[in-house]
Amino acid sequence: MMEPLLSIRLRDQRHPYQPGDALECAYQIDAVDAADIQSIEASVLWHTEGKGDEDLGVHYFERLEQGEVDGQDLRALRVLCTVLPNSPLTYPGVTLKIRWCVRVRAFLRRGKEVFFEQPFVLGSIPPAIPVLQPEPESDSQDDESDGMM
Amino acid sequence: MARLFRLWEKKRGDRSTGSKFVGGLGEGLFFGVLFLLGSLSLAYLVAARLLGAMPPLYQPGFGFWLMVLVMISFMLIGGTGVVYTVLQVGASAERRSAMARRAADIELLSDAMPSRREYPTVPRDTNLTNSPGIRLAYRLPVTHGGPWVLFAATAFFLVWNGIATVLVLVVFQSHLSERPDWFLTVLVLPFAAIGIWATYYFVQQLLLHTGIGPTTVEISDHPLRPGESYQLFVSQAGRLNVKSLELSLVCEEETTYRQGTDIRTERCRVYCESIFIERDFQIDPGKAFECSCDLRVPDHAMHSFQASQNAVQWMLVARGHAASWPVFQRCFPVVVCPAEPRGEDG
Repeated sequence: MMEPLLSIRLRDQRHPYQPGDALECAYQIDAVDAADIQSIEASVLWHTEGKGDEDLGVHYFERLEQGEVDGQDLRALRVLCTVLPNSPLTYPGVTLKIRWCVRVRAFLRRGKEVFFEQPFVLGSIPPAIPVLQPEPESDSQDDESDGMM
Repeated sequence: MARLFRLWEKKRGDRSTGSKFVGGLGEGLFFGVLFLLGSLSLAYLVAARLLGAMPPLYQPGFGFWLMVLVMISFMLIGGTGVVYTVLQVGASAERRSAMARRAADIELLSDAMPSRREYPTVPRDTNLTNSPGIRLAYRLPVTHGGPWVLFAATAFFLVWNGIATVLVLVVFQSHLSERPDWFLTVLVLPFAAIGIWATYYFVQQLLLHTGIGPTTVEISDHPLRPGESYQLFVSQAGRLNVKSLELSLVCEEETTYRQGTDIRTERCRVYCESIFIERDFQIDPGKAFECSCDLRVPDHAMHSFQASQNAVQWMLVARGHAASWPVFQRCFPVVVCPAEPRGEDG
């Protein structure tokens, strides 16, 4: 069986987005029978990557169930629009990275699900660089100049 | 995708290699069986008691009530597990997160949430601005692991030296009674050495917490924003010959992860800028060292971030080295908010 095709296109290809900007995005599922799609979820979310366990926060969420959509099947092109929040901003850290994306997830028959995501950048935080922490003994080199003992 | 479990493998985090559906099914079955076991056994116990056919072991008394308690706990754990598993099945991570967010938006709950609605994931600064300063607007609270280190050092010092003292007394007694136990004598030597080190470390920690006076940091405004400047007032009390006292603005990433059954937390410093450093000066008991300086938050600084497993934390770190004292460090957390959005006209 062929895998369904999920496509997401950001209307405004600005790079990066800023807090308060409107994000408009079109998404569509194809190459699958309409009857095979039980529901579709579209979300605008941030999630963390890196050494720690994943954190995830959903800013925008919509779920469409079969039978809820009047006159159209769930394969039709849809548009979502949301105003981006003030935080968290995209963060390319060392042990922690924060990523934003639009994620579309389709629930098919027999418990199968597929998803696709389109990342985007919110804010303009430059990549972080690790800083070496000072050793506790590093101050002891000043002993010779200590005249107040 | 791997379909078979490896026998020797340390699982990390929530990532799974098998089928989510099979995993959920297994989890549901396990908790379901636990619930059934608990409920059926409890029903049997109660019925047997009512019918007077109780086995001798479970006659009313300690054994009976213990069994009732165990069976009720089986029912509770199993029932909760089944409900939790059912909620997880068929709900994506995004949907669960959206539901949690809607719950957080309820007015009653939002006041208790750790971050403000206009700046999601940025921690609130209520606890940082509830103490007014003498020179500037706010006196920042100090956070350090000091009391816990002192507590751990005290507990280790007491327990270890208690055991070591008993062993030393036994060894002395064996030698005084002219029947020396040489095996025990040799064994006691490293014990005593560790005891001496524990005593030294305990005294050092005690002096560090009682001998060096408090460090105070006041700030002109809070929360901080990238590209903005703030005034700082620093004061260090005590009776010290200070070799160096430095105040730095520090940013650290904090990540928490599970490794097998362990929960580990790691910190990585990604920004450190010295705000001021003062060398070779004296602090007298009646006259604390005082200093005013300016702090500028970098233009493209990442804002403070707090999620359940990950965080970006900003803090002011006072690090001092006084003669005859170990290096001491005190941290004053601050919150950095994202820069204010600029207007259309720039």
